[in-house]
Formats: sequence, structure tokens, C-alpha cells
Amino acid sequence: MKTFLITTLIFMSFGISAQDNAPEKKNTVYKYKEYEVIDLGSMEIKGQIIAPGDLTVNERERKVFKRSLLEKENFDFENKREIENLR
Amino acid sequence: MKYLATTFLLASLVMGNYANATAKAAFDIFQNDKSKEKNKKIAHELIDGGFYFSAIPYINTYLDESNQIDAQLENDIETLVIKTGTMAVLNLEEKKLEKYSIPSISLILGTRLFNKEQYEKAYEILSRIPETHKFSIEANLMKGTIRNLQRKHIEALNLYSLCTQKAAAQENAANGEKLKRYYTYLRENCIIRTARVKIEDKKFDEALELYEQIDKRSYKWPYILMDKAWANYYLKDYNRAIGLTVTYKSPLLESYFFPEAEVLTALSYYNLCLWDDSLKVVDHFYEYYQPKADALKDILAKNKKSDTYFLDLYYADSKTRENLNPFIRNLITQTRKQVKFSLDLASLKAAKDELALIKKLKNKNDFTNGLEANLDSTIAFISAKINYYIKKEIFSFINEIHKHSYSMFNLKLELLSKKRDEIYNTKLDTKVDRDRGSENNVNRKVTQYFFDFNGSFWADELGDYSFGLKSQCTGANKEQN
Repeated sequence: MKTFLITTLIFMSFGISAQDNAPEKKNTVYKYKEYEVIDLGSMEIKGQIIAPGDLTVNERERKVFKRSLLEKENFDFENKREIENLR
Repeated sequence: MKYLATTFLLASLVMGNYANATAKAAFDIFQNDKSKEKNKKIAHELIDGGFYFSAIPYINTYLDESNQIDAQLENDIETLVIKTGTMAVLNLEEKKLEKYSIPSISLILGTRLFNKEQYEKAYEILSRIPETHKFSIEANLMKGTIRNLQRKHIEALNLYSLCTQKAAAQENAANGEKLKRYYTYLRENCIIRTARVKIEDKKFDEALELYEQIDKRSYKWPYILMDKAWANYYLKDYNRAIGLTVTYKSPLLESYFFPEAEVLTALSYYNLCLWDDSLKVVDHFYEYYQPKADALKDILAKNKKSDTYFLDLYYADSKTRENLNPFIRNLITQTRKQVKFSLDLASLKAAKDELALIKKLKNKNDFTNGLEANLDSTIAFISAKINYYIKKEIFSFINEIHKHSYSMFNLKLELLSKKRDEIYNTKLDTKVDRDRGSENNVNRKVTQYFFDFNGSFWADELGDYSFGLKSQCTGANKEQN
């Protein structure tokens, strides 16, 4: 009997908290602007012009990558090979 | 004609009898002599009878057991070195050979050490050969090369000069055609080495004058075109550098291919600011050499374990050779022109002849059987050696293609960069004039010929070509020229 009472109480407390968390149902109505005129001619911006009048990009010096091209500093390969081919 | 045939028959009979007699004498020593000099005596008899390859094991065994070399043995070893080359003392270790200071052994040991890159020791051993000895020419060439490699150019030049002088003297004194050719080869080698040292020292004009001493009919001549092209390149005569490298395209030199020549051509165009021409050469290099390298790699991989495949290719009949890739055929032709290859091939033939002669001997015994067995293994060894040599040549050629592919790759990047700059700076530069060659752009010395190239190569004109392209270097690219 004691157990039955405790179980009933627990279930009842869950039921109450579930009712508290349920969202309130409201009848929301969305309305859109049907017509609007913007007069661009009468628009005015207040302030100072700080941007430069001439838009230029400073020329950067191009990075030159010097690749090692073939150089003939000596004839070691040929000289050794010729001796090998002698005998 | 009848008399000639009879004389030849008699001579061969006498020779045959003499060979029989010396073989018999060698057999007598083999059976009866119990002294320590037995092997030396057998070798002497065999050498006397012309059985050079059969004598090698006896000489080697004697030298292994004894430290004494008398005048007769010295002569015998020298004959063996002349007739069989490095085979003469093949089985002896370097430490053992070091103990002997006779010229023939010093030459063989010096060569062996040089090939192992033990240069200082090789120099010391080669210095044992007296300056008056006939082997001193080869020794000076090698000693000069060692000093050249060590960048001791003054010493190298002195040694090369000694080599040239002595070779010229021997060339004039030589009686036989073969011997004369051998000394001519050494003399020309020493002249070329001197010229190369001059290039390394940036004395390009002096180098070019030295190259003029090499006859166009010389075996070495096709090789010096590359050297001359480099000298002209550094003299900024790019037109002549291209003219020299283009000589390899003549039908007479079709078996000579130097990937480096393509790189030098492309570099010369690059220095004339002819980017498109240079790019064409670079692209052609990849198109031409890539399939060749692949074909060679394939043939190497398939036959890497064979001891005879490449040698058989050399001996193959014309029909089999025709089926080969023309490039491989040309590579074999080029290898055939190497001195070492010719010497080894001559040794192989001589060893086979010797074996045939021994097989013909009437009285067979333990001694002759031993000689036959030794000769069989000698023949197998020489065959494997030649086969390995061809294989090595092919391998080093593939390596060369790869090495120069890297150079070409760098050049292509540089060319693309130049072309990009040219596009960016089109407003700055004047219109590029692509007018082709003119005689006005040919630099010519009084000693140099001038031939118009009309689409065909003429043998007497080879090596004297020069392009007449105008440099297109302007503005920012001026530093190229």
C-alpha cells in the first residue's frame, strides 16, 4: 500500500511539471507592407569624404626565383669515364 | 697467289709446330719439375708459345706464393699485360700487388685503385713507373686526371703535357699500325684533357685552339664537339654552341647521342632570349628521350640476371638487330667504339682461339685438360665482363637522361617565367622581331670556315656550323646576353 502511494505521487508530480512546460498557444498574424516608395533623389548623407579620389595599387617588385640552370664547372664525369674505358 | 697460299700454309704449320713444342715443354716441366719456380717456368713456356691466357693462372699462383720477380718474369708479365690487359694479375689482391714495383703491375694496380677512387694511393703506385718506360704515357694520363680531380691544375697540365709529348714521340717511332693508333689515341686524350683544364680555368679561347689539333677523322672527334660547344657557350657565342650541338643530328653521327647536347641547345636559345625555340627543344627532349629511357629500363629489367644477353645482342645477325629498337641498336654501336670494349672483345676472341688450339693438341693429358678447364672459365669470365660492361653503359645512359631531365625541368620553369614577364611587360618592350638568321650574327675567326647550311650535312663541314640568330634580349632581359 505504501509503495502504491509513493508511485502514484511520483506520477502525479511528473504530470504537473509536464503541464508547466507546454508552450502557450497564441494566434499570431503576420502582415506584410503592401507598398513603399523610396525617393533616392532626396536622400542625403552627412559626414566627410575620407576615401582617396584616385584608386591605385602600388606596384610591388616581382619576386625573382633563380633556378639553378645547368653549368659545366668541370669535366670530372667524362674524365673518370674515359679512364674506366681505357682498360 | 699460289706462292702466297703455300707460304701461309707453311707459316701456320711452323707456328703450329712451335706451339706444340712449347706446350710439350710446359708439360715436361709440369711433370718433372719439383722446384718452387715450377709455375713460373710453365708460364714462361706457355707465353713463349703464344698461350697467353693459359699462362695467367700459373703466373698468378707463382706471384701468390713468391715475392721474387726476376728479369725474365718481368718480361713475361709485361707481355701478358700487353696481350691480355688487366686479366694478367686478376686473381691477386691489391695488398699483394703493392709489394711489386715493376711497371706492368704498377700500371694495373694504379688503374684498379683509380677506378675504386683511391686517388692518392693510385698516384703513388703510378709514380713508380719510370718516365722512360712505355707505360709512363698511360700513367701520366691517369696521374694528370687525379691532379685534375683534386683541382691541382698546374700539376695536371704538366702531366698532360708530358703525356702528349711522349705519346707523339712514340707515335712517330711505332712500326705497326695498331701500336701507332694506340699512341695517337693517348696523345689526343692528353690534348683534350689539357683543353678541359683550360675550360675549367675559364681560358676558353686557349681551349678552343687546342681542340683544333684533333683530326676530324679521329675516334675522339665526335666527343669533343660537346666540349667545344661548352667553351663557345661560355664565350657567349651561343650561335656557334647551337651549331656544334646540331652536328649530332647529321646522319654520320646518328649513333652518338648526348642528352647534354639538348640541354646546351636549349640553354643557348634561352640566352638568346628565344623562349619559344628553347621551349621547343625542352619539349622535344621529353618526347624523344622518355620512351627511350623506358625501353632501356624494360630491356635491363628483363635481362638483369643474364650473363650473356647483351653480348649476344652484339653478336646477333643483322635481321635480329633490325628488330631491335633503333635506339638500343645505336647504343650498342656506340659502346662498340669504346676502347675497353674492343680490347675485351679481342681478348675473348684470343682466348677462344687459344682454346681451339689446345683442343687440337694430339697428346691429351692432365695438364692439357687443366689448361682447357682454365680457358673455359676465362672465356666465361670475359663474356660476363663484356655483358656487364654493356649493361653498365645502358644503366649510366638512363641515369644521364634522368639527370638532364631535372635540368630541363628547371629551364622550363625559367622559360615560362620569362614568357609570363614578357606578356606583363608588352607595353614596355618594343615589338619582338622574329626575323631568323643572318650572316651578320655569325662570329667567325680567321681559322674558322663558313658554310651555308642548305638542309643537308656534309662530312667536311661537320663541326664548323654556326647559327646566325639575332639575340632577342631587350630591356629587362638584357642580362641574358
